Parts: sequence; structure tokens; C-alpha cells
Amino acid sequence: MRTLSYLLRESWVNMWTNRTTTMVAILTTAFTLACVGIFLLLYVNLRAAAGWLQDDIKIMVYLDDRLASDSVTEVEQNLRGDRAVASLLFISKEQALGEFKAQFPSESHLLDGLGQNPLPASFVVALSPSFRSPDAVMRWADRVRQVAGVSKVDYNQDWIDALATVIRSIELVAIGIGVILSAAAVTIIANTIRLTLFARREEIAILRLIGATTSFIRIPYLLEGAVLGALGSTLSLVMLKFMYELFRQQMRTTGRFAGLDNLMAFFPPSVCVALIAVGMGLGFAGSFVSIRRFGEAKA
Amino acid sequence: MRTMIQLIHVSKQYDQRPALSDVTLEIDKGEFVLLMGPSGAGKSTLLRMLIGAERPDEGQIFVHQKNVTTLKPSDIPHLRRKVGTVFQDFRLLPKKSVFDNVALPLLVQGISSADIRRKVTEALRAVGVEHKRDQLPAGLSTGEQQRVCIARAIVNGPVVLLADEPTGNLDPVLTAEIIELFKLINARGTTVVVATHDPLVMAQVNRRVLTLSQGRLLPEHRVLV
Repeated sequence: MRTLSYLLRESWVNMWTNRTTTMVAILTTAFTLACVGIFLLLYVNLRAAAGWLQDDIKIMVYLDDRLASDSVTEVEQNLRGDRAVASLLFISKEQALGEFKAQFPSESHLLDGLGQNPLPASFVVALSPSFRSPDAVMRWADRVRQVAGVSKVDYNQDWIDALATVIRSIELVAIGIGVILSAAAVTIIANTIRLTLFARREEIAILRLIGATTSFIRIPYLLEGAVLGALGSTLSLVMLKFMYELFRQQMRTTGRFAGLDNLMAFFPPSVCVALIAVGMGLGFAGSFVSIRRFGEAKA
Repeated sequence: MRTMIQLIHVSKQYDQRPALSDVTLEIDKGEFVLLMGPSGAGKSTLLRMLIGAERPDEGQIFVHQKNVTTLKPSDIPHLRRKVGTVFQDFRLLPKKSVFDNVALPLLVQGISSADIRRKVTEALRAVGVEHKRDQLPAGLSTGEQQRVCIARAIVNGPVVLLADEPTGNLDPVLTAEIIELFKLINARGTTVVVATHDPLVMAQVNRRVLTLSQGRLLPEHRVLV
């Protein structure tokens, strides 16, 4: 218990003794993580926007014209039981004809000459979010084509592919920038801890000579790094939230992008907690790097 | 086993310059040994090897039946808890009180607060600075600082006490006091090795003397009390 309180006290003393360096480290970490946060926020919102676009992807499942009404119900039950299907809308032959005529009034006479309604009944299917990737859509369509009574499955493959490419690109850019700026945060914290280690090298040497284990020596510095990272990431979230609110207010007052401000969203609490944990982890890593470089060889 | 420290054909070089050459010696449990020699003779190197702070290029070193030369880095702290060390420059932590400085070796072992209080008080009493327990090292005289350093070295109840030029910064009166303290510690059964180049210390100690010269151990002479 006394050892634990000693280690915690040492971490606090380290930070308090070098408070200017500590403050600079927290601020620079906060600015760096805020940059990561901006891109993450952009990513989250663009990803959400892409999600709304994906909601619009509809797959047409056309039924065989000769299908009896019992069999139509069977196909419908089959589709409703499919976990990939999020929603289902039946369009009868008559409804299809009505819609055609409504959409193409000048062409409706073409169908009149045929005597009978050539348009098939169909289901308009929207897939669940986890089944909207190009591969998943293709696999689902191939499977449904095999269902008895289904004559054709139709969807816009190009549109799905293009959307998937956009989402993947956003992800790659976000990951790339996140990795680079996270490395910067690790370096900043590593340098701060290195300064502390340098200032306390004599003390560390004494601790080694009196039989302190490596972990006993390391723990206060690792704690210090973790605290710096956590404080830096918390401050970065505060800065981001402030900038976010300022941006939304600006959008409202200028009246540009009307309605877009309502669609924008900040990180949910769980993501905020995760980001603070990530900051803590980066601080811990930075501290670990410094301690390793400082070396174990010095007795 | 009577042997506490054993060196077998130990050699060490720094940048092609020999610091120790083929040193073989034995120190028994409970002995008080002076390690004499001029600066650069290899005394400090030998002491540092005994606590695993340096590794020999050749030879074997045993302390308290442990082969120091083959110890894993993770085992070295455990060796150092059995070997107290006293330095010429005291090496006290300036921002910690006398009590906290002496408590450090116990703290690193996770000893309970009550035991720490008891052992530190005993160690401070043994070296005669109990009344200075709450002061910072800067507020102490050099003799008192050395006493605190000795208290820190013995607070664990080590089997060996190593002192590297412990009187180097002290006047003759304080030197005599510190030597008396080492004799008391030795009388309680702790093996004491004091490295010094001060003939005054040799005269006061009057025990076994090992002499190093340019890294070589000279034929020893034993002074009987």
C-alpha cells in the first residue's frame, strides 16, 4: 500500500516539479489529438452520410408472371425470414403499370397496344447495413435468383461499387492521418518523459543501487505518460466540441447548407471515452519508448 | 559456508586499459576488510562488480553463494537488497527527508508501513541521527549525511556492507567516527569491505588489508588486532 502511494506520489511530484514541461506536453498533445479528432469527426459524419445514401439502395426482385398468389406469399415469407432483408415492399402488376403510366405518361400508349399488362410483380428490398457491401449484395442477389418464382433480381451495381470506394477512401485517409498524428503525439510525450528522466537520472541510479526493480523505477514514468495522454486527449475533446458548436452556429447564422447542421453529429459519449483511453495508451507508449531508450544498463 | 565474497581470476578492461587483472580473493563471512590502493587502482570497479553494476571480461564472482557473473538482470535487484552500499558523495535524494531516504530500500521491497517506521528508526538510532529524521539532506553536515547514507545501507539488514571511499569528504575526526560505526556494524555480524586510499583509515581499522595497484592484487598483509 505504501509502495503504491509512493509510486503515485512520485508520478505527481514528477509532473508538478516539471509543471511547465508538463503543461506544454499536455497542450501540444491536445492540439495534435484535436487534429486527429477533426479528421475523425469528418470521417464519422461522412460515413454517416454514406450510410444514408446506402439506405437508398434498393434491389428489385421480379416475380414470374405465371406465379400463383399462394406462391407469391411463399416468396414474400421467404424474403421476410431472410436476416439480410431490412425492409420489403410488394408491388403488384397493376401497381407497376400505374407507376409506369404516372412516370412516363407519353409512353403509356405503347403498353395499351399489347392488350395485357407486361410488367411483372416485384418486391422492392432494402438490405440491412451489414449486407450492403458490393460482395454481400452480389451474393444475396445470386442466392435470391435461385428462389422458385423469382424471374430476375436487379440493382445498380455501379452505384454500390462507387459508394463503397468512397467509403473505403475516407477510411484510408482517416487511418493514415490518424496514424501519423498519433505517432506525433507519442513523440511529444516521449520527449517530455525523456526530459524528466534526464532530470532525475541520479535518483534513478540510486534507486537501482539500492535494489529497486525495473518495474518499480518505470511505473511512475509510465503513469505520468498515461496521465499526460489522458489529459491531452480530454483537452482535445473539449477543443473539438467548442469548434464543432462554433461551426454549427456559424452555419445556422449564415443560412448556408440549410438543414445540414441538424444532420451533423459530435462523437457519442462512448467514443469520447474511447478517445481518452486511446490518448492514455499513446501517453503510456510514449513513456515506454523513452524509458527503453534511457536504458537499463546504467547502474 | 564461511566464504561471503569470492573472486576467481577476475579481469576487466576499459578501452584496452586494464582496470582489474586476474584478481583472485576470498572474504569470509563477518570479516572487515580494507581495500587499499591509489585512485585508478581498480577499487571502485571491484566494488561495482560485487553488486552486478559491472560484469568482468573474465573470471567468476560469488557473493553470498550467488554467482554474480551469471545473474540475470532481473535478479540483480535482489542481490543489491542483500548488499548495502555507502558512497563517498553520499548519493542522498536531495528533495526527500532523512527518513524517506533511509526508507527507500525498504519501500522498493514493498515492506509494510509499520515495519518501515520501525526499521528506519532503528537504523537512524544506530548511526546517531534519529533526531534529524525530518530534515532534508542539505540541512545536514557532511558527517551527518554520511551517517544517513550508512543508515540507508544497513536498514535492510544486509549480509555485506560495501563502502567506496566513505571518508573521502570527511575530516579526521569525522573519519574516526565513521570507522567506529563500521566496526559496530561489523561486530553485529555484517561483512564489511571498505575501499579507501586513506592511510588514516588503515591505521584506525587495523584489520585485513587487500591492496590493488594498477588493477592487480598485491600480496596481502593481515594486521591482527
